[in-house]
Amino acid sequence: MSFFIGFLAAVTFALLSPALQVMARTRGWSLGAVTLLAIAAILTHGLGVMLGILVVPQFQYWDAASIFGFCVMGYVFAFGAVYKSVSLEILLSVVDRPERRAPLSEIIERQVPDLFQGRIRNLVDGGLVEPVDSGFAPTAAGRKMAGRVGQLRRAFGIGDTSLYDFSE
Amino acid sequence: MNMLPGPAQAAAIGLSIALPLLLLCYARIAATGGSGRRFRLGSVSILALYAIACLALPGQRHFDDVLGGLFLLATAMMFCYILFSLLAWGFTLTLLTALVKAGRPLTLEQWAVAYMQGGDLGSFTHNRLKLLVGAGMVIAADGRLAPTAKGVAIARLVKLVRLSTGLG
Repeated sequence: MSFFIGFLAAVTFALLSPALQVMARTRGWSLGAVTLLAIAAILTHGLGVMLGILVVPQFQYWDAASIFGFCVMGYVFAFGAVYKSVSLEILLSVVDRPERRAPLSEIIERQVPDLFQGRIRNLVDGGLVEPVDSGFAPTAAGRKMAGRVGQLRRAFGIGDTSLYDFSE
Repeated sequence: MNMLPGPAQAAAIGLSIALPLLLLCYARIAATGGSGRRFRLGSVSILALYAIACLALPGQRHFDDVLGGLFLLATAMMFCYILFSLLAWGFTLTLLTALVKAGRPLTLEQWAVAYMQGGDLGSFTHNRLKLLVGAGMVIAADGRLAPTAKGVAIARLVKLVRLSTGLG
């Protein structure tokens, strides 16, 4: 029964989370997509625990938390995979064309630079990068974040190219 | 309400905390390969340790306890993978670190070259396309891209996930 309560809380999360994303977009909330996911997870987890205490005589917290965590993380995993994937953006742009074909040159010369500029806008909006004259420079917050990312990459032995290594 | 995890669940919680530490250790062993392979190795190691813990822990195993432990482990693996993949393959994050590494303001074109460490956006596009081609989602021929049946199905799935998660 505790597993069922955890699953019910996860279903509530799957309903609340998109509602929050849509509301944030339509009402112009400044909260990011990941923050909204976290809010939805905390709220529904709390609701699930309260329901469990009220309904199940011997409510096993970790049974409920385990299935809730698994389902929510699966949701976040899928969300992250489709949120800002460059590869999937390219795939969708090809599939969405009426002829379902796209010249490679157009993707290299137009779509990828557009994606590149979109990500730069995100960095500027996030206060990590600022426009300087005709170029861009990192802000103090941007330098701090880059420093932390660099430390983590070194610690975990991760390269700094972000390219896929197909030799693995 | 019982807040105490079962023995297998307690082992899973401990192993979940150990996963990032194990990845840190594997980063110091050259034979563990690149980022992706190292993560897979870490996950398999944790699962093997969990199986050993389930066999070795004293007392009778309960199905709820073992299942809850598996859910907890899978949650930790997905969580770690999301953070790990952001560090390893995050486009926006690498744009920021490339700008900071340059040590001076960059124009858009210079930034693209710095990001690709001397290459251009064409090389980046080819790297991302290699993933789509390798996964059998897209066919590249005569300078044009065309989705396969699998690519079209994936694109539909992506749209469905975007719609159901409130991303539009």
